[in-house]
Amino acid sequence: MSKKKKRHLSPGRALVGTVMLFYFLAFMLLGLQKMEWQCFVLAAVVPVLILFGSVGITKLYPADTLLLSLVNFLCALGVLVLYRLKPEYGMSQAVNYGVGVAAMIGCTLLIRYMPHFRLLNMPMMLAGLALLAAPLVMGVEKNDARSWIAIGGFSFQPSEVVKVLMLICLSTLLARRKVIPAMGFAAVCVLILAVQNDFGTALVYFGTAMVLGYAATGSLLLVGAGVGGAAAAVLAGSLIMPERFSRAMSRVDAWLDPWADPQGKGYQLIQGLVAMVNGGPFGVGLGVGNGTVIPQHQNDSIFMVIVNEFGMIFGLMILAVYVLIILRGMMIARNSRTRFHALLASGCAAMLAVQTFVIIGGNIKLIPMTGLPLPFISLGGTAMVSCMCIIGIMQGVSARNAADLREDRELALQGGDGL
Amino acid sequence: MKQLRNNLRRVGVFLCIMLAVLAAYGAYSVIVNGNRWFSSASNTFMSRKKKEVIPGQILDRNGMVLAFNDASRPDQDGMPKRVYHPNPAVRMAMVHAVGDDKNRVDKGVESFMTASLYGFDMSMAERLSCFMQGKKRVGDDVHLTLDAALSAYATSLFPADKKGALVVMNYKTGEVLTEISLPQFDPEGFASETAAQNRAVRVMYAPGSTFKIITTASALENDEGVAERAYQCTGVLQVGDGTRNVTDAGNAVHGQLTLQRAFQVSCNNTFARVALNLGDEKLKKTAERFGFNDNFLFRTLVVENSSYPSENRTETEIAWTGVGQSELLVTPMHMCLVASAVANEGVMMEPYAVARTVAHNGDTRSVTQPRVYRRAMETDTAARLKEYMRLVVTGGTGTAANIPGVRVCGKTGSAQLDTQENTNAWFVGFMDDPAHPYAIAIVVEDAGGGGSVAAPIARQVFEWMLQNGY
Repeated sequence: MSKKKKRHLSPGRALVGTVMLFYFLAFMLLGLQKMEWQCFVLAAVVPVLILFGSVGITKLYPADTLLLSLVNFLCALGVLVLYRLKPEYGMSQAVNYGVGVAAMIGCTLLIRYMPHFRLLNMPMMLAGLALLAAPLVMGVEKNDARSWIAIGGFSFQPSEVVKVLMLICLSTLLARRKVIPAMGFAAVCVLILAVQNDFGTALVYFGTAMVLGYAATGSLLLVGAGVGGAAAAVLAGSLIMPERFSRAMSRVDAWLDPWADPQGKGYQLIQGLVAMVNGGPFGVGLGVGNGTVIPQHQNDSIFMVIVNEFGMIFGLMILAVYVLIILRGMMIARNSRTRFHALLASGCAAMLAVQTFVIIGGNIKLIPMTGLPLPFISLGGTAMVSCMCIIGIMQGVSARNAADLREDRELALQGGDGL
Repeated sequence: MKQLRNNLRRVGVFLCIMLAVLAAYGAYSVIVNGNRWFSSASNTFMSRKKKEVIPGQILDRNGMVLAFNDASRPDQDGMPKRVYHPNPAVRMAMVHAVGDDKNRVDKGVESFMTASLYGFDMSMAERLSCFMQGKKRVGDDVHLTLDAALSAYATSLFPADKKGALVVMNYKTGEVLTEISLPQFDPEGFASETAAQNRAVRVMYAPGSTFKIITTASALENDEGVAERAYQCTGVLQVGDGTRNVTDAGNAVHGQLTLQRAFQVSCNNTFARVALNLGDEKLKKTAERFGFNDNFLFRTLVVENSSYPSENRTETEIAWTGVGQSELLVTPMHMCLVASAVANEGVMMEPYAVARTVAHNGDTRSVTQPRVYRRAMETDTAARLKEYMRLVVTGGTGTAANIPGVRVCGKTGSAQLDTQENTNAWFVGFMDDPAHPYAIAIVVEDAGGGGSVAAPIARQVFEWMLQNGY
């Protein structure tokens, strides 16, 4: 088939182009507002990163352009909003973004060429638990949660790294129908996180484990037992450590009635809600919002900053982007050939879904507030890398599916020739 | 594998529903609470935004301007100064409803209607045209349902130096005509913390005997034959452990009487027994139908939630609840709604204080439509209660509210407080006349009996209204 190369605009490419243009203009706007050269640098660098992250990668291996462009859209949004909040945030997030893309490629290749993790499973589980428990021994406390460790001036959150390990371990175990060990491992992880006061992450681990358990067994009984077990653990915790329990309960109070203490416990929640309604349907405009008054605006509350400046309709669009990423993940899971890969991809989707739900639900007062980063957007190197690894895993499974299909086709063709 | 794929489909649907719940809840809570969040004191963004817009005027129902920006008196930033009605009596009477530019009154029109006054409801085109012409934007005018003259008159009726509140509303539509709170302060002067409180909607009172309306409604609906039963009032009713027996004002002994007569003379003894007979659960259910324990989310009015206590209820407390004493807490506004429901065949209309907002060019931006808040009781219960309340005014504790030729109905209350010498004087009532559909609630703190202090004020207010064309 000799053909002249005709520029064909596929939906995926059109999307990438639009996203690039959006960020180019957004950074130019910010740059003109603030008159800072870094902004103009980012106006050039971010679109290039997006181009590489979504189209360039397809030159390395067959990748899912739609999924990639959505993820890149969110990552770049993080860089943009963080830069607007504080230029240093934006610069460091741009670096995180670049590292994240590299991590994603690594994970994709790993999953694509590694058929299974059976031999590595045990060491990975042990390493995971050791990492998770490390902050208890050598951790530093940040925002009331003891879930960080610092090595030589470089601090990171092990729970973010272990997220990826846990996905692989749970999928490996559940693929071989070892339900009890899998759930036991998840329970220990959740327990360690709860002891560290990191309830948001504990909830994400718990939710993901439940979803994977259900997917592998199809038994709602298992989910019921999990929820019951968690409730029993909370009850036990309230008896063993009443002091810490009451501290956690004060957060629940702040959730139920933040207006009882608008300057204290309810402050973060209320400022977020106020920022949201200030934004209205169309937002107050990039760079002129009041997002900086919200505590943790670069982290837990970044969604409210975005809604403040871009509007509630844009906020709904962001949610829709997450839904699309999750649906894409579930599609990849359903197309995969082995139980392991199906569970792995669905676990990735579930983890993103649960995390998004917990963090945004906390912001809009649907559930109590927990300190969690919004996937792809919040400031944080470890969080960015782990989320990109999750996307990398999805991509890896997708690439395997594509390779399997190709093999099928070749075999079918050979079969035809052989007659 | 096939089973796994089916499970995965369910998981996918579940995850999407989860995120859809986020969107739905977010939209819902913004629609319901949005303006409350926006207008709250926590919204620091507003102070910056306010410098860019000249706020609209606030007018009463007759078009009297209550608050406007006087261009001849610029402040230090060159913005016209916000000034209030030139007559001090009027601007003081309206200060709690209207609020003030220094935000000393919480949730007055000035703060709660910020979105309209500061032009946040303007369309893109309007904003753009102002920008092009280089003019400062002017916010919308807010027309209230309140009558400033009536408010000023009602204020003058209160005994000197007494705290209290008075609310008048149209029970057919829910329009609030007057919402005053005493002590008052001058919005252009100094305000003490006590004076800044809006007692009509933000301060909680024990309803006292006015709660007997609800006890009676509950009895009529849940206790068949209660109206025909004979009660014996011996002065003291032993309840619970005997530490807080139910007695009547002045230790009165009413002898044998029916529910109707007990309502007329406000016999505590009988109502304590009615309440004990009903039990806490039924009484609470009726109270909640009247709006107790509900989160009031009225469109243009912020009213503190009333509470019917729910925990650790002893016999003593239930008996005292029947006569409105226990730990019940209401606002005068809510008691006015209770009277309105009786007058309006059991249907409680949503109270509103803003009639409409009007853009600077004269176009009407929004009009508040009357809306039913809830059905508080059955129609025949309301009819029966109306008769009882009529008898209170013709030959019971509330005769001071009677106006010859007008069917005034009401209920008095004298709520005891441990912290003060005299009782809080209550009167809630209405004119039972489709041409004059007005309900009233009055509380005068530390003043004495409802029949002698509050009921005459109700009469005078109603007389003024009839003379002035209401």
